[in-house]
Parts: sequence; structure tokens; C-alpha cells
Amino acid sequence: MLNMAGVGFRMWAKALAKGRSSGLSALLSGCRAASGVSKGSLPGPYPKTPEERAAAAKKYNLTVQDYEPYPDNGEGFGDYPKLPDRSQQERDPWYQWDHPDLRRNWAEPMHWDFDMFIRNRVDTSPSPVPWSTMCKHLFGFIGFMLFMFYVGAKFPCYQPVAPKQYPYNDLYLERGGDPEKQPEEIKHYEI
Amino acid sequence: MADYREAPLATRPKTLDPNEYFNLSPEQRRLEESRMALRANLKRQYQIELNNPHRKELIEDPALTRWVYARANPYPNFRVTKKTSLLGAICGVVPLFVMYYVFKTDRDNKEAKIKAGTLKRKFSLLS
Repeated sequence: MLNMAGVGFRMWAKALAKGRSSGLSALLSGCRAASGVSKGSLPGPYPKTPEERAAAAKKYNLTVQDYEPYPDNGEGFGDYPKLPDRSQQERDPWYQWDHPDLRRNWAEPMHWDFDMFIRNRVDTSPSPVPWSTMCKHLFGFIGFMLFMFYVGAKFPCYQPVAPKQYPYNDLYLERGGDPEKQPEEIKHYEI
Repeated sequence: MADYREAPLATRPKTLDPNEYFNLSPEQRRLEESRMALRANLKRQYQIELNNPHRKELIEDPALTRWVYARANPYPNFRVTKKTSLLGAICGVVPLFVMYYVFKTDRDNKEAKIKAGTLKRKFSLLS
């Protein structure tokens, strides 16, 4: 850090001594640090000539035959390579990856949807039964159950019920009937 | 290994793909070699930086930088075409109108019910 301060001071002193441009523009022009991303290593526009394709393949650490950019229909991909849509779960679990949880090596070109294909999320590994069969089974079952519940709600089927029957002429005295008067006889049976 | 069967729910490893061993032309083998050379070079670079005792900072991954940059800056590569404008209209313009109509009719029906006194507040905790 002290070294960098010395360099900065020296640049400032040199710019002042040269005196060609004033103040801030003198310090901004000239050299910059060599650390960080260089200009040619960031993604750019769609490659049109074979030389551009070769340069883009080299930039992304792919062979020229493997490098296939997304089709150029203005959707914002530029020269980013189109890698096969395989999730990270499909990769060999026993190989010594540089990042074992992501199953990826350092500086390996990342899929555009890499954050979708991590092992916690979308998985493209083969299913035990064909996908169509699985869909048919699941939605068939759910559809059948929904249909049966609907039919059951439309045509309910329950045990036969009747109003509750009370003894002693429907509890005439308990319900506050006159003890002198003779209540009407209520028969709850039929012979 | 001739009778290898891949584990259920897993793809076959590339090294056990029968196409790798039979009917391979020299060009394909050379292509595979160049791929492996690239990969080995990157692995070597990573191991050197990883085991460097004087390194104090994180090892910067250029592929990650490029990925982040590409995902965050699609605008220079964007062009107005039929497909992009259609997508933009579907995702940006249509929902506004649809939601306006949906909410407006729903709220108007609710207001009419309140005025007529037929609104049933099923989950109201106040009464």
C-alpha cells in the first residue's frame, strides 16, 4: 500500500512537471493497474466472422468446434456460448472438482442458466420411468380423485336418518304440558 | 466393465460411453485431446494459485466474472424484433391492463354487494 502511494505521488509529480494537460485529466490518462479484468475478456457482441468466433472460443476456454453462440435474434445473449442444458446433478460425483458442491472446475464456462441448474434446483438427470408416463400417472390419479369427489358431492350417499323420537307422548309432562289434561296419543311405530 | 449399468437417476459417465471407444475417428480423438488440454491447463493454473503460500486474496474466476457480466448487461445486445417486442408486450403491458380490469370489476362487485347489504365476510374477526 505504501508502495502504491509512492507510485501515485510520483505520477502526480510527473504530470505536474510535464504540464501538458491540467489537473485531473493528467492523472486520469496514462497507465492503470494490470490487475482485474482486461478489456478483451468480458462478453461482447455476437461474433460474425470466423476470426471473431475463434477469438470468442478462446476467451471462453472452449474449442472452436465446441463454441456455439446463441442465435442472434436480439435477445441479449451476445457472444455467450450455448452449452448443453444439463444440470450439475448429472455430473460425475466421484471426480475431483475444484468446487465439489457445484460440481464445477475453476474457469469452466458457466451455462447461462447456471443458477437454475445447481443441485438444489432444476435437475435434468434421467427419471426412473419416462417423463410422459410419470405425468400420465400423476395427473391421471389426481384427476380421477377430483372427479370422484365431485360426483360424491353432487350425489351424497348417507345413512337413513329420521327425527329423534321421544317417549311418554313426546315428553308431554317434561315439556310443560298440563298434568290434568289428557295428551293426544303419539305412536312412533307401525304394525 | 462391459456389463456396467448406470445408477438409477444418473447419466452414464462420459468415460464409460461406448461411443468413446468404438467408431472414433482421429479427428474426434484430436478434438477430445484439445478439450482435455484446455481443461488440464486451467486445472494447473488453479492449483498453482491455490497452493501459492504468498496468496492472501481470493482466486478470481474469470468465467464467473464473464457470466455475471453477461447476465447483467444484455442491453447492448438487445434488438427490437417481432419476438422481443411481443415478449415485452406480454410481460410488461398486458398484465397492467388485465390486472386493472380484474381488480376494478372485483372491487365494483364488492361495492355493489356492500350497498345492497349482501356481502358475506366469512373471515371477519370483528363480529
